[in-house]
Amino acid sequence: MQFWNYLIIRLIQAIFVTLLVVTIVFFVSRLVGNPEETMLPPLVTSTEDKERFRELLGLNDPLHIQYGNFLIDLGQGDFGTSWRGGGTSTLDAIGDRALNTVKLGVAGVVFALALAVPLGIIAALRRGTTVDWLARFVAVIGQATPSFWLGLMMIFFFSVQLGWFPTGGAEDGFRSLILPAIALGLFELVAIMRLTRSGMIEVMDTDFVRTARAKGLSERTVIWRHGVRHALLPVVTMLGLSLGRLIGGTVIIEMVFAWPGVGRLIIDSILKNDFPMVQAAIIVLAASIALVNLFVDVSYRFIDPRIRAGEA
Amino acid sequence: MAAGAADAVEFQPGIRRRRIRWRRYIGLSVPALIALVVIVAGVFAELLQTHDPEFIDLAARLAPPVFDGGTWAHPLGTDELGRDIYSRLLHGARVSLIVVGIVVPGAALFGTLIGLVSGWVGGMTGQILMRVVDLQLALPAILFAVLMASLVGPSLTNVIVILLFWTWPSYSRLVRADVLSLRERDFVTASRSVGAAPWWIMRKHLLPNVLNTIVIVMTLEVALVVLAEAALSFLSVGVPPGTSSWGRMITEGRDTMNVAWWPIWLPGLTLLIISLTGNLMGDWLRDALDPRLRNLR
Repeated sequence: MQFWNYLIIRLIQAIFVTLLVVTIVFFVSRLVGNPEETMLPPLVTSTEDKERFRELLGLNDPLHIQYGNFLIDLGQGDFGTSWRGGGTSTLDAIGDRALNTVKLGVAGVVFALALAVPLGIIAALRRGTTVDWLARFVAVIGQATPSFWLGLMMIFFFSVQLGWFPTGGAEDGFRSLILPAIALGLFELVAIMRLTRSGMIEVMDTDFVRTARAKGLSERTVIWRHGVRHALLPVVTMLGLSLGRLIGGTVIIEMVFAWPGVGRLIIDSILKNDFPMVQAAIIVLAASIALVNLFVDVSYRFIDPRIRAGEA
Repeated sequence: MAAGAADAVEFQPGIRRRRIRWRRYIGLSVPALIALVVIVAGVFAELLQTHDPEFIDLAARLAPPVFDGGTWAHPLGTDELGRDIYSRLLHGARVSLIVVGIVVPGAALFGTLIGLVSGWVGGMTGQILMRVVDLQLALPAILFAVLMASLVGPSLTNVIVILLFWTWPSYSRLVRADVLSLRERDFVTASRSVGAAPWWIMRKHLLPNVLNTIVIVMTLEVALVVLAEAALSFLSVGVPPGTSSWGRMITEGRDTMNVAWWPIWLPGLTLLIISLTGNLMGDWLRDALDPRLRNLR
């Protein structure tokens, strides 16, 4: 019962955040921008056409009515029509690209986790050794490297010079995913590694680890059962919170590697002055971030028994 | 006896403290020197430049830097349009300085204020403020930048406004957490019980106690803001064309990446060094002032 209450409250919060984003997008775009200038071809449009256009889109209505209509349209799944490409639905165009962005994001996180967790654990267990020093060096450099520059450099060395990977696009399947995933995941890698290391150092000092050792458990059991499980909790939280950053990152990385995802769709649409597409993509991305955050929060309650115990 | 004498020397405050202090500042000296160079470069860009940063000289396109077979006419070479890279780097430093100079203090001021109020007032107001703060996590700065660029075109003002909006919540979150524990401390409850006004308590008791946190976050945010500006400019939703920004230089160097290394390596390395500098200074400050913030990022 407690769980369902919690789920409903979190769901309402997620809807609230999404609604807030939609509202910001609506008002910023209506107040800052001038739709007839962003959406109609400049110079060639006559004044009568502009007036017809305004009437057609309901731009002559008061703002709150426009806002209401905007929300109703969104609620019915009508995210607007792309101004380019013969009137395709923006939602369809986004749907075509979404899988690629998800693939890239997942690959980036998997890459980060696969390297960061073992490295963080070893660095914590062998504090002050070469491994620890190396891990800290990677962390300092990794955090300071601009991801887009790193991506370009990797294309230059590994694709152009050595020819190991394609220079861009997604045609080569797994091979074309490797470099973008590394460029995207590096920042997360550093964050996860730091968190794992400090969490591990902290937990190996606690009473329950000493107890586990005292009752004669093997060092392996102590490290994995009592240490790692505990140290990884904050990592899960951070991964959920870093989703926004990750999606922002995919926009950049998709541009660097010509990856056919939603991020590249957005930037291409700006260059083509396709405002409805930009707007729809931003709303879809923000809503999916809210949704995934909700999922992380809920799953966290299953991972950490203390939170469940707290509500009973 | 011998051991006692040694201890006595060891604990003579003057000798010991001075030596430790001196060593502590070594770690800060290199980043501080680099920061100083960048500030001088940005402020005196016109005096230090050898060419107009936007002057196009197609006859001199892709001239190599002087240490790679070039001439002193273009110390760090030229890009594909023959613009002088050294002069462009100087003006790029100015763009970064302007952005950092407005965004970091501005966000710190506003974020701290919101954090203080939401931590102190609590209740419904605090909750609503914190939901607004959480919005930062749901709406990546890049999406916002993209929205603005598609509406009014790219500009420096856009970059500043977007990064302000995007960075202030970090301060609020930390300040609020500090205030929530500070408000239960004896010196605060004592002040309240004798009828001190909320603003007085915030200024005299809360603010001095959260100042360390704010300074550390500000230093760490410098690198983040510089990289964010470069990323936005790289995506052509940041600084408009015709302005020298490190991010733009990387975009423009991309086309000639295979024939000339310098147009893309030099701004990239500059960015790397600057953000490294910011992070090292932040780390140093954190270790010196408040080690418990180690997990900040």
